[in-house]
Amino acid sequence: MNPTETPTDRTMKRVETDGGVPMEDDQESTADAAKADGGTEKLVDVSPSHSVPDDDDDVRTRSTETAITTRDLNVYYGDEQALDGVSMDIYEHDVTALIGPSGCGKSTFLRTINRMNDMIDVCRVEGDVEFGGKNVYDDDVDPVALRRKIGMVFQAPNPFPKSIRDNVAYGLKIQGYDGDVDARVEKALKSAALWDEVKDQLDSSGLDLSGGQQQRLCIARAIAPDPEVVLMDEPTSALDPVAASKIEDLIDDLAEEYTVIIVTHNMQQAARISDRTAVFLTGGRLVEYDDTTKIFEDPEEQRVEDYITGKFG
Amino acid sequence: MASETQTSTTWFGSTEEVGRLRGRVFKWTCLGATVLTLFLMLVFLLYVANDALRPLSADPSWLATMGVTVVLPVVLLAGYYYRRDRSAGEVAYTALGLPIFVALVSGGLWLLFRHIVSPQEWFVLAASILVAGGLVTAHSRVRHDAAVERLVVTVVVPLLAVVGVPTVLPSLRDLLSLSPVLPNALFSLVIAFTLPIAAVVGWRVRAVRDADRDGAIAAGITVAGGLAGVVVGPVFGVHPTSWLVFASPIVGALVLYVEHVVRNDEGVSGLAFPIVVAAGIFVGLTAAQTLGFAGPDTWLDMQFLTSSTSTTPADAGIYPALVGSVLIMIVIVLSAFPVGIGAAVYLEEYARSQGRLGTVIELIQVNISNLAGVPSIVYGVLGLAIFINLIGMGRGTAVVAGFTVGLLILPIVIISTQEAIRAVPDSRRQASYAMGATKWQTVRNVVLPESLAGIFTGTILALGRAIGETAPLLMIGVSASVRVSPDSFLSRTGAMPRQILSWSTQITTEFRYGVLAAGVVTLLVVLLTMNAAAIVLRNRTQRTQ
Repeated sequence: MNPTETPTDRTMKRVETDGGVPMEDDQESTADAAKADGGTEKLVDVSPSHSVPDDDDDVRTRSTETAITTRDLNVYYGDEQALDGVSMDIYEHDVTALIGPSGCGKSTFLRTINRMNDMIDVCRVEGDVEFGGKNVYDDDVDPVALRRKIGMVFQAPNPFPKSIRDNVAYGLKIQGYDGDVDARVEKALKSAALWDEVKDQLDSSGLDLSGGQQQRLCIARAIAPDPEVVLMDEPTSALDPVAASKIEDLIDDLAEEYTVIIVTHNMQQAARISDRTAVFLTGGRLVEYDDTTKIFEDPEEQRVEDYITGKFG
Repeated sequence: MASETQTSTTWFGSTEEVGRLRGRVFKWTCLGATVLTLFLMLVFLLYVANDALRPLSADPSWLATMGVTVVLPVVLLAGYYYRRDRSAGEVAYTALGLPIFVALVSGGLWLLFRHIVSPQEWFVLAASILVAGGLVTAHSRVRHDAAVERLVVTVVVPLLAVVGVPTVLPSLRDLLSLSPVLPNALFSLVIAFTLPIAAVVGWRVRAVRDADRDGAIAAGITVAGGLAGVVVGPVFGVHPTSWLVFASPIVGALVLYVEHVVRNDEGVSGLAFPIVVAAGIFVGLTAAQTLGFAGPDTWLDMQFLTSSTSTTPADAGIYPALVGSVLIMIVIVLSAFPVGIGAAVYLEEYARSQGRLGTVIELIQVNISNLAGVPSIVYGVLGLAIFINLIGMGRGTAVVAGFTVGLLILPIVIISTQEAIRAVPDSRRQASYAMGATKWQTVRNVVLPESLAGIFTGTILALGRAIGETAPLLMIGVSASVRVSPDSFLSRTGAMPRQILSWSTQITTEFRYGVLAAGVVTLLVVLLTMNAAAIVLRNRTQRTQ
């Protein structure tokens, strides 16, 4: 395209690669900011008595603004290719589920978004991952600053051996936040539906909690610095069904404030909680990506149907 | 199916024996090896302890008195803890061991205050550090965002305060020492030693109990314990300053531990154990003295610990060598530990494992493991060659001894620190990085706090190895027998193992048996207490993780 890249160019490019999805707002970045601010305010209101307006849900499922766009993403671990030409638009305030058999590159895709793969010496990334109108693999992007905008929850709960308060405040602390930390901690714990269970023991160790509570603590930790995207790598696979269903409920609420991308092995879970589903199959290829209902009821590809119905994988 | 029905009449194993003979022999052989090791250790320890303490030289009535007042209550109480309240037993051993350990550390500090840094000098030094710390904090408040400037200030201000610029600008410390009014020794220590300890204790109690009053009480008890020497000290014949140096840390540590036990409300009765032991010893000694029972004629007594070696065995002591060993330990702690821990952090957290650099790192890693096995005499030659012949530092000084033995334990420090760092689960690092933490923030906030206990354990064990080393000390010319305590790190010094070696070559029999055994027991007490502290620390962290 145009050799001198300007933000407008990038937006136009995006419109093209979106496959003709109309952009409602040219000034995307300002819209983002407004949305983020609104999100902050809304977050305070989250309480059992406060009912979320129905239309909010509709806005979420119908959102047309992309949060993250990948184009021709190839990832290699040494000589082994983990992702093969993945192009995908992830929409704001969506819950996007990534499903597929083991070793198909779902987790790699997730960790490519917030550049956690940089930690792996042998990992090499080709192609673009656009977030906030910028390719995150550009030379002038600081991966540390990027990760402060993208929270992540891991497969096994991994709270720090610190107090519950310090766990949640960790992100704020490292980002040098000098406002009211306790208020932010409370807000994050409420958003993670953990506040009522731990409000009297904020100074006890995060490791004293049960597995499900620990995972919600990790979610609270991830959202405390108010990121824009929350990545979840099989967040319920190490938990019992009751704890898992609590997390699932939580994910639905989280999508009102954040863009959620979740890797899961559990087909029912993907069907229950996600708005869009991406199916990766062996070789790191994105085989199909569409509305969740479409994927689970009437997939285009036979292989996807076989995988979902359990005939393969 | 068919075969199962056939054999169902005979139960498995009742017709043919499963061979277990070799397994049994193997198991008993292993047990034999274990028992042999323990037996040899025990025999050695008893033998040395018997030579050093000579309990059988005491009046049988004295032994009986002590048996009734000390041994019997201790055995009864231990039995009670064992049968009724295991957690109280744990509390009991910690409550007894903690003051002993802190007393040893305080003993080291006492030697320092007596020979190296006088209380007034310490007061001036502490004041300079305090001023420097205040300036650094104030600067970071005022200029919050100037990261580079803050780094410079953090490095330069303390340097100016403590060292100054030689021949150009006197340091704050020098200026303060010129001050015409300086507090006397006791008052200096109250301000610069007891008060900081009390502040730490009070702050800690205040943090865990979330009450200002409790913190103030804890700090108050610590200060009172230190100052009690002014009144009580003369009764026991202890100088108030000495009392202060020993009592402040002991009382402070006990306050913290008692608060911890009472707060958790588990095994509180264990706190009675050290009281029973101390009271038993006190009552027993008093009773024996009033009744006129003669105690054992031990080699290891206060006279041995406080006097220098002599030509007559009865007058010989280990004091100057003890001072030397403490100085050497301090040099090791200040030199080998930072270097070793720094190297380990780099190798574990920063060094790349791939590419050409990775190969070099791997080579270094293998060599560090090899260095841990190099004979100590070789390190002695190395120290002689580098520190004395090449750099020209004085023969047999505490600095050279500390550097040489520090080199010896450097690989051990590195390896044990690496293991402690490796024990931090990688998922925690991942969590930190995913939160947008930099490498430094992750190391500072996640890796180091979690591995700190493991690092301490490894380094304490390494230090234990270091103070017993003799061969390197021979090579670098540490004095065989010292009668004058070193008065600085740069003056010639003795060391406990070197002193023990020289006693072993004396012609007089009492030296080779009695005095030598007393020296060995002194060394062992220091070493075993350090190891016990390391093990307690390790067990505690294993339980919390």
